[in-house]
Amino acid sequence: MDASTTPHRPSPATRGAPPRVLTALIATLALLGGCALPLDPEDSLERIRGGELLVGATEHLPWVDLSGERPAGPEVDLVEDYAGRAEADVVWVLGSEGELVRQLRDGEIDLIIGGFDDQTPWEKEAAVTRPYATSADGTGRVLLTRQGENGFLFDLESFLVEREEAAGASR
Amino acid sequence: MNAAFGRAELPAEQREALARARRIQYLWLGILLVTVLAMAAVMGNSQAMKTAWAEDLLSFLPPLAFLIGARVATRTPTSAFPFGFHRAVGVGHLVSGVALAGVGLMLIYDGASSLIMQERPPIGAVSVFGHPVWLGWLMIAVALASCVAPVILGRMKRRLAEQLHDKVLRADADMNRADWMTGAATAAGVAGIGVGWWWADAAAALLISVSITKDGWENVRDAIRDLTDARATTVDNSRPHPIIAQLNAAILQDPKVVAVQTRARDEGHVLHAEVFIQVSEPVVEVAWLEDLRRRSVQMDWRVQDLVIAVTAEPHPDADAAYGGPEQDGPEQAAES
Repeated sequence: MDASTTPHRPSPATRGAPPRVLTALIATLALLGGCALPLDPEDSLERIRGGELLVGATEHLPWVDLSGERPAGPEVDLVEDYAGRAEADVVWVLGSEGELVRQLRDGEIDLIIGGFDDQTPWEKEAAVTRPYATSADGTGRVLLTRQGENGFLFDLESFLVEREEAAGASR
Repeated sequence: MNAAFGRAELPAEQREALARARRIQYLWLGILLVTVLAMAAVMGNSQAMKTAWAEDLLSFLPPLAFLIGARVATRTPTSAFPFGFHRAVGVGHLVSGVALAGVGLMLIYDGASSLIMQERPPIGAVSVFGHPVWLGWLMIAVALASCVAPVILGRMKRRLAEQLHDKVLRADADMNRADWMTGAATAAGVAGIGVGWWWADAAAALLISVSITKDGWENVRDAIRDLTDARATTVDNSRPHPIIAQLNAAILQDPKVVAVQTRARDEGHVLHAEVFIQVSEPVVEVAWLEDLRRRSVQMDWRVQDLVIAVTAEPHPDADAAYGGPEQDGPEQAAES
C-alpha cells in the first residue's frame, strides 16, 4: 500500500499481500478439491469414463420409450449426452423397476431411467439426482444412481447443473 | 433484574452472573434457531447431518429450562409453597439431562443402524451461481460453523453455572459440548464420505455418541439424586457441598455446642439446611439460638433457609462434627 512512506516497516505492504495469495491458494485448493472430491467407494466413475455406462431403463412415456428398436425419449437423449461427455458407451439393460433397483443396489448397473418423479419411494434404495426437468404436474424428473457412489453422482449432477445453465443462457 | 431467588438475596457477583447467563441463553437460542434453519437448508442425505439437526432441536430444551427455571425460582415462597420455588431448577436439570441422554441415544441408534444396514449416504452436486459444487463442502462448512458458538458459550456457561450453583446451566454446557462434538464429527464424516469411505459419517457419529450418552446419563442421575433429597453437592455433583462442613465447623466454635450434625439438600440454586446441635447446658436462651442461626445464615447466600434444632441425641444420618482436638468422627472424639 504505502510501503514508500514507511520503508522500514514492511508490515502494511506484507499484511496486504498474503491474504490475496492465501485467497488464491484457497480458491485453487477448493477448485482442485472440488474436482477431485468426492470419490466413489466402488470406483464407478473411473470405470465409466472411457468405458461402459450401464443404464437400466423401464418404460414410462413420454420420458422413456422402449417400443422401437432402440430406446428413445428425452431421458434416453439425456443419458446419451452425458455418456458422450464421459466418453462412455451406453449399455442398455431393460427390466421392471423392482428388478432394476435390485441390480443397481448390487452394482450390476450404474443408473436407472424411467421418468421417476422427485418423490419416488425408491430413494431408500437408490440415490436420487437433482431434477433435470419439471413435468406438467409440477414434480421434478429425476434419475436413480447407485447409493454411495458419490463421485459418479457428483459428475452426473454437475452435468445436469451445466445443462441447466446452458439452457438458461440460450433462452 | 430479580435480585433474589425466593427469599435468598443474591450477592453482587451472583446477580451479575445471573444477568450474564440470561443474556447468553437468549443469544444462544437465537444462534440455535439460525443453525437449525441453515441445517435444514443444506441437509442432504447424510445421516449425521439429519441427526445433528434433530440434536439441535433437542438443544433448545436446556436453555429454555434454564430461563424458565431461573425465572420461577425467583418467586417468593407462599403458604402453598413454603419452601419456595427453587426446585424448578431441579426439574429443569432433569429435563436437560433427559434431552442430553436422548441426543446421545439417538446418535448411537442412527450410527449403529447405518453401519449395520450398510447405508451409503449419497451426497451430490448443488448449483452455486450456476456452478456445480459438491454439497459435501457446504455441509462441512455449516457443520464447522455450527461448532464456534457452542465452544465459546459452553465455556462461559460452565463458569457461570459454578457461580450460580445452577445445574441446568451446567447441563446446558454439557449439551454445548455435545453440539460442537457433533459438528466436528459431521465435518469429519462428510469429508470421509468424500474420499469414498461410506461408513465414515456413521462411524464418526457413533464415536462421539458414547461420551454424549454418558454425560446425559450422569445429568439424569444427578438430577434425580437432588430431587430425591440426596445430600447437597457441588454444582458438578462430584463431592458433598463444602458449606456443610463449614457450617458444622463454625457452629462448633460456639463454646456451648458440644456436637453438631447438619443435613442439607439441594433445592436448586440454594440449599435447605437442618442443623442439629447438642449443648453443654440444660437450658438455652432463645436469643442465643437466634444469634447462632443469624451467624450461620450469613456464611453463604445459599443457606438462607436454615433450621437449628437442639436435640438430646446426635442425628444418626446427618454429617457430624464433634468437639475436641479431632473433628473427623465419633471414634476420635471418644478417644480424646
